[in-house]
Amino acid sequence: MNIIVGLITGMISGATPILLAALGGAFTFYAGIFNIAMEGMMLMAAFFAVLGSFLFHSWLVGLLFAIAGAMILALIFIFFSVTLNTDEFVTGIALNLFALGSTTYLLRQIFKVKGVFTSKLIDSIPNIHFPLIEKIPLLGPVVSGRNLIVYLAVIATIFCYYLVFKTRFGLRLRAAGYNPNSLDSSGVRTSRMRIQSLLLCAVFCGLAGAFLSLGYVTLFAENMTAGRGWISLAAIILVDGHPYGIALISLLFGFFDGLGLFLQGYGVSSQFTSMVPYIATLGALYVYARRNRERERNAL
Amino acid sequence: MTRRILSGVLGVVIALVVGAIIMLIEGYEPLATYGALAQFSLGGIGPLTTTLKNSVPLVLTGLSAAIAFASGPVNLGQPGQLVFGALAATLGGLYISLPPVLEIPLLLLLAIAGGALWSGLAGLMKQAFGMSEFIVTLMLNMIADFFTAWVIAYPLMDRKAFSPMTPPIARSGWMPDIGPLNSSVLLMLAAVVVMWFVFQRWRAGYEWRITGQNSLFARLGGCDVRGNFMAVMLVTGALAGLAGGLVVMGGPHRFLKGLGANYAWDGIMIAIMANNGLVETLIYGVFVAAIQTGALGMELITNVPSEIAQVLQAVLVLVIVATREYAAVVFDRLAARRQARERAA
Repeated sequence: MNIIVGLITGMISGATPILLAALGGAFTFYAGIFNIAMEGMMLMAAFFAVLGSFLFHSWLVGLLFAIAGAMILALIFIFFSVTLNTDEFVTGIALNLFALGSTTYLLRQIFKVKGVFTSKLIDSIPNIHFPLIEKIPLLGPVVSGRNLIVYLAVIATIFCYYLVFKTRFGLRLRAAGYNPNSLDSSGVRTSRMRIQSLLLCAVFCGLAGAFLSLGYVTLFAENMTAGRGWISLAAIILVDGHPYGIALISLLFGFFDGLGLFLQGYGVSSQFTSMVPYIATLGALYVYARRNRERERNAL
Repeated sequence: MTRRILSGVLGVVIALVVGAIIMLIEGYEPLATYGALAQFSLGGIGPLTTTLKNSVPLVLTGLSAAIAFASGPVNLGQPGQLVFGALAATLGGLYISLPPVLEIPLLLLLAIAGGALWSGLAGLMKQAFGMSEFIVTLMLNMIADFFTAWVIAYPLMDRKAFSPMTPPIARSGWMPDIGPLNSSVLLMLAAVVVMWFVFQRWRAGYEWRITGQNSLFARLGGCDVRGNFMAVMLVTGALAGLAGGLVVMGGPHRFLKGLGANYAWDGIMIAIMANNGLVETLIYGVFVAAIQTGALGMELITNVPSEIAQVLQAVLVLVIVATREYAAVVFDRLAARRQARERAA
């Protein structure tokens, strides 16, 4: 029984950052931007979350700092890609490098350490307990006592679906990706929709990064996102950006992430268990590619 | 041509100015910092040969990325292919001992095969199942990283060492020094020349380039697009593998922990700066190597941390690319204006 609860809670923690980053990326996906900067945005956010929380001893300030950190990257992205028309792929790669370099640099500059920074002064984001639900066997310990960001992620998924598919903003957002020329000729500036989508993406990646450094663990480590931004990109591509699909895929990755940790308890060396989510991504890509091929064959 | 040089130089200058502004904000003296950077990377035979030696993995992975991007396949797997090349060369060096004349070529071939194996795996997944090589190579990077970390921590671990690393490879497999210069630099230059000929002068390279520019046109013109895809994946993986082999054979002579992480994205970054040009890749590769090499010395005499090199590199990529694309617009506008004036006269 405890093993099942442990696996499920592990799955939820593993899924949360990927889900949030992928939801953020979904906005830019619909707006027609090839955005691969989620990795960098998350890393910046994770660093600034620790910085804010450390300086003000408040997780709320940490959260705001995290969003601001991701926002810096989004603004640079906007300046280069929307204003100067630089290639989005190139901008994204350069921004990821910039995030890695500047967080490593700032870690050394501000905290005077290399590699990892942790401190008792960092206030982590609290877990939320529901007094009544907690008592229900099996369901209680899974639903109650999770990190605040986890509940935010659930709300964000529904919010994201509503925003993209049920509002005028969402319609214009999708039009920016589907047919920018007709959106422009209808009097809405495509570039403005793209800017807004990038800012939204930064907010979501900010939450994801804050969860990594103030929820999942309470520390900042160099390159601590470890490819989660890329996995979230894979999740977006696999389900064509649909928020509920993203949630499902994220849970799947989360499951494999948790499974890896679980296997570690059984003596499988950590290097192999760490590979599991990436192998799962390859597996998911395989299924997607096969489905695509069959669809093409049926279309002929 | 002049345009390309002009916008390249302009980009570097603007990037250095932006870097100087960042240093000023941080309270450092930009001129002294750049001076120290140059002094420890280019000032004299010793620093210069170190820079050249450090440029070997950068130029080779840059070459790999440039050829891949210019030919179509989005091979982002240089980090994984590099560590697999390094691992293959290390394995050979640990278990095979021959005279240097045979040992060195053998280890180089093993490194090339190791890199090509890892990129070939990604190519196969694309060919057989239609999986996008873009994400596949990224995931394979992670897997290769963890796999090599396991190999050097368990089966091949040097019991006498304090951190995970393999024992040193056979002495006969070390790349010899020619005077102050390590011979891996010569091999790198040879690789650049060979790849330039293949890419710019041979039929295969022509087909790759045409496929990269317009794959439909290439197919209608009779190119074997699928076969070329695989060939490009194998060749670019081989180059990254060679880089890994030379890192082991020219440098620490063993597989150290975190060997791949040092060059992870540098090759891709250099290819982007070079706009996928092979000669430009060589120039930018040495340039980036100079920044990285100089940064370590700079830290000793100024109090600027060497990590600023990473920030500087990211600024360089963004500014150089933006300058190039923006300069193209400006040049076109100037040319149009001149034509209009001539027509009016």
